[in-house]
Amino acid sequence: MRLTFINGSPRGNKSNTERLMDHFIKGFLETGDNICEIEYLTKNRHSLAALAEKFAAAEHVIIGFPLYVDAMPGSVKEFFETLQPYMGKENNPAMGFVIQCGFPETSHLRYVERYCEKFSRRMNCRYLGSMLKGGCEGLDVQPTFLTDKYYQYFYQIGVEFGKTGKFDEIILGKLARPEHLKAENLAQIIPFINQALWDAQMEKNGVLDRSFDKPLMP
Amino acid sequence: MKYLVISGNPCCDRNYMDQYIDRFLDGIKSAGHEVQLIVLRGMKIKPCTGCFNCWVKTPGHCLIRDDGNEIARQYIASDHVILVSPLIMGFLSSLLKNTMDRIIPLVHPHIEDVAGEVHHKKRYDKYPVISFLLEKESFTDAEDIAIATGIFQREAINVRSSLGFVQFTETPVEEVLHAINIH
Ligand SMILES: Cc1cc2nc3c(=O)[nH]c(=O)nc-3n(C[C@H](O)[C@H](O)[C@H](O)COP(=O)(O)O)c2cc1C
Repeated sequence: MRLTFINGSPRGNKSNTERLMDHFIKGFLETGDNICEIEYLTKNRHSLAALAEKFAAAEHVIIGFPLYVDAMPGSVKEFFETLQPYMGKENNPAMGFVIQCGFPETSHLRYVERYCEKFSRRMNCRYLGSMLKGGCEGLDVQPTFLTDKYYQYFYQIGVEFGKTGKFDEIILGKLARPEHLKAENLAQIIPFINQALWDAQMEKNGVLDRSFDKPLMP
Repeated sequence: MKYLVISGNPCCDRNYMDQYIDRFLDGIKSAGHEVQLIVLRGMKIKPCTGCFNCWVKTPGHCLIRDDGNEIARQYIASDHVILVSPLIMGFLSSLLKNTMDRIIPLVHPHIEDVAGEVHHKKRYDKYPVISFLLEKESFTDAEDIAIATGIFQREAINVRSSLGFVQFTETPVEEVLHAINIH
């Protein structure tokens, strides 16, 4: 099976999208004869038409991106626009998505998931599904027992996809937990994230006392 | 009321949309409101690189040198921001979406519980209402509109604002102005 993974993160190969998909691809390549090519939108910004051509010629495509203001980043939307000439064509590739976000709940990703499914149908691409994962900012400050669990899920989905050409619905469901968080869980994790992720970086940069600055105040 | 209309129409030969915007602005003005127009095409707006320096290095200010900060400045100085775009492959133009990605310096990195979901804390005391004025594609259907509107509702909460209206340019300007209470 041939897979083209298009990494749409504006952070390119140093992204959370990449870290998660490394595990998927590792699993995918365990089945002999499988081949995976990786393309980065950051490297193709000035040659999107050529990337669209590659897309149209591919067999299976997975497009990965972070959630930006509740949707795909503008640069990923630009790539979607470039695919318009191939809309509805015969022989378009099967298409799936990996969409991850900073906030811990999967609920933030549901509308963009629906968009991606509709987009696949409109393109006349067989829809493979979407791997959704919240809580992905600061993967390196999270306890490893958590991150190892996500990585393991991505690996397993990759193995299964490598064998069957399908995303395993049960593991997708496990990956997509929690859909929402209870008030008491929110109250627990919010101070941790604010401190370990944000205050730590501001402190390092010596701007913690200016964190609420309003430089664009009218 | 201070209105800001941001046009994400990428293409100058979509004349209909530009003329529609002109008449829309006239309507707002003649009702005695202040209104400003930003036309994104022809401005310099680079895509957000996800560096978060606007939160952790220069709080509230993006380090990319282009028109992004100026647009964010005008955004936060308004009472009501109307985002205008053709739907392209079912969603806002990338020109407009890139611009929206650049307004995150207006919120604070810290998160809090907003109606049972995680969102960012406010940086400013007051945020404008946001609305959308869209041009349909030949194939736009009810599902496309439901998905886009669902995203807009979430975006409004996420930028600590509220969603004003979602309207389409197939509706005559006067009717849209009336529907949004500008007489
Ligand atoms: C401009 C911008 C907007 C973002 N908007 C959201 C959002 O609406 N919801 C969310 O949960 N995370 C949001 N995030 C966080 C990213 O989705 C998160 O950091 C992600 O893990 C980055 O992935 P990457 O490293 O693969 O680019 C945003 C980040 C940026 C830079």
